[in-house]
Amino acid sequence: MSNRFRIFTFICALFVLPTLAGAQTRSIISNLANPAIGMSALFLYQAAPNLTLPGSTGPAFQEAEISVISTVDPLWTLAGNFTFDAGSGVAEEAYATTDSIPGIQFKVGEFRAAFGKHGTLHTHAFPFIQAPIIMSNSIGEEGFKNAGVEAGWMTPLPWYCELTLGGYRQIQADPDHPLNFNSGSMDNIPYLIHLKNLVDVDEDTTMELGGSDLTGMGDDGLHHAVYGADLTLRNVPLRQSNQHGWILQGEYLKKVSYNGNIYNQESDGWYASFQNRWGQEWWSGIRVEEAFNSVSDITDNPTDTSLSGHVQRASVNAAWLPSEFSELKLEYGLAQTANGGPSQVDNRVMLQFNYIIGFHPPHAY
Amino acid sequence: MTKLSFRSMIAAVLVLLAVPAFADLKVAASLGDLASVAQYVGGKHVTAISLCKGYEDPHFVPAKPSLMKAIQDADVFISVGLELDGGWLPLVIPGSRNPKIQVGAKGFVDASEGVNVMEKPTGTVSRAEGDVHPLGNPHYYTDPQNLVVVADHLAQVFSDLDPANAADYAANAKSFDEKMDTSLKEWEKEMKPLKGKPIVTFHRNFGYFAERFGLKVFGTVEPKPGIPPNPRYLSETAESMKTAGVKVVLYQPYYDADASEQLAKKAEGVAVEIPTEVGGMPEAKDVFSKFDFIVSTLVKAFGKEK
Repeated sequence: MSNRFRIFTFICALFVLPTLAGAQTRSIISNLANPAIGMSALFLYQAAPNLTLPGSTGPAFQEAEISVISTVDPLWTLAGNFTFDAGSGVAEEAYATTDSIPGIQFKVGEFRAAFGKHGTLHTHAFPFIQAPIIMSNSIGEEGFKNAGVEAGWMTPLPWYCELTLGGYRQIQADPDHPLNFNSGSMDNIPYLIHLKNLVDVDEDTTMELGGSDLTGMGDDGLHHAVYGADLTLRNVPLRQSNQHGWILQGEYLKKVSYNGNIYNQESDGWYASFQNRWGQEWWSGIRVEEAFNSVSDITDNPTDTSLSGHVQRASVNAAWLPSEFSELKLEYGLAQTANGGPSQVDNRVMLQFNYIIGFHPPHAY
Repeated sequence: MTKLSFRSMIAAVLVLLAVPAFADLKVAASLGDLASVAQYVGGKHVTAISLCKGYEDPHFVPAKPSLMKAIQDADVFISVGLELDGGWLPLVIPGSRNPKIQVGAKGFVDASEGVNVMEKPTGTVSRAEGDVHPLGNPHYYTDPQNLVVVADHLAQVFSDLDPANAADYAANAKSFDEKMDTSLKEWEKEMKPLKGKPIVTFHRNFGYFAERFGLKVFGTVEPKPGIPPNPRYLSETAESMKTAGVKVVLYQPYYDADASEQLAKKAEGVAVEIPTEVGGMPEAKDVFSKFDFIVSTLVKAFGKEK
């Protein structure tokens, strides 16, 4: 039986459970048997005149994600996210958390590491349809997803200051995981250190400053690491919290490898974006970014840029949200190389449809 | 250091450990009304705060990490329940890393327990009807009588966590109940001339108050819960209001005043801002002054619409 079929059968079984629980008095299964279940789906129409790859212009089923969450017992909560696109289905995340240790949130399983800002987002929560170029060149376009443990400690400092430490499985580099952590050595425990500081500037505005370090040993004898710094200013007017506000955000990431006297800066890059909420249903955004020594993985992900080397990109978008559960986003991105010589251009218009049904946990602030 | 002074130090440390820690319960709530009731019931033994300010829409409180920090050491957390705070509390409570107040812990309170919940959906619940509350209407705190249920519940919770002061909590809750009973009679007397009067509210959050005092909720400014009003809906609603003689539109500080005023103007009536939650307007300092202000505002509003 293929893995895709196993996942499909499991998901069908989950949908059958509510029927059993909703049956009349003879049912022996209470609502306790039902996890909270939700699904998000992304559909994309892209027009990319500079691309010649088949399917680069036209409609696409981008991704669907089924999420489940439930309390295991007084100690643990278990959550899972299963994503599938037109070609495959994977268990993207499955992890247990506990808040039973004072000051510490502990997580174990397969999950997105707490690196930076954009790296912690699910695809349907991306503020721009295309992820920043530097992501796919550093920790992965959808963040660093791996099996491991993480503990996030809220320090006793007077402002919100969280220190997260994580340890993960050895993993080889691939388009989803650009980092080579594949050394079989017993002392290769890829680790994360993440510090997040957030202060209230006033009752409507917050400032967040973070730093991240993700390091492990590769099968090439080198240490591989990504370092990141992020800054976010966010305004949510308390009197109109679902009608107005803005977000100013920037991140810088650098991917390196080193050992002894060897030090390679493999790639680095940054993005800065500004999003504004004009009303309950309307958002717009603008982002500029730059990546150095960039490698495209457009064959793996059609929303990635097709350009490589020194790449600059500007994106603008507008989104309409008739409710919290659906979104229509129109985005234009213009990328060009700055490698010296004639510049290559990748410009495209994208229209994304985003839907959520069932239960969906609140997105992080 | 001599043996005597070392023994004295040990004795001093043991004495200090034997002295009970200062017994204040730190209480946090997802709504100002619940913090207000908690402060009445807790008296000098409790310090109560609300994460949602009364002029914030309780459905959409931003789950800022500073809120998690604010409840990091809380002994009790009072949720309004019925999923009113479900859009943000599931991030804030775990994010606090405070085992005392996690869901299921002794310090976590669902204040809706024991309340007679209105508008429990029957049949299929669907988001085609907007942002519906599948467990029933959660705005029960707009009925003063429901706050008596909350007060009695909190007295029990505080007594369980702080048995040494149980007698005080019971006495305070009794005193709260009596004060609410007396106040309710006064408000009912003032509201009596308004019995049967129709109102339009921005959101379906005034039904409990209307039921208590005999007002009729004719409709809402928003076409469906969570869906903003459009010009066509406002025009159609205004026409219905004129036909039915509905003149008063009520809205909260966190809702669109323009849409409410447009509707009232089209219907040849008045739009009136009222605080449904404690802290929503400066006059609503606690649950008693909140209802005082709502009642006096409504009496004036119906006086004007004549």
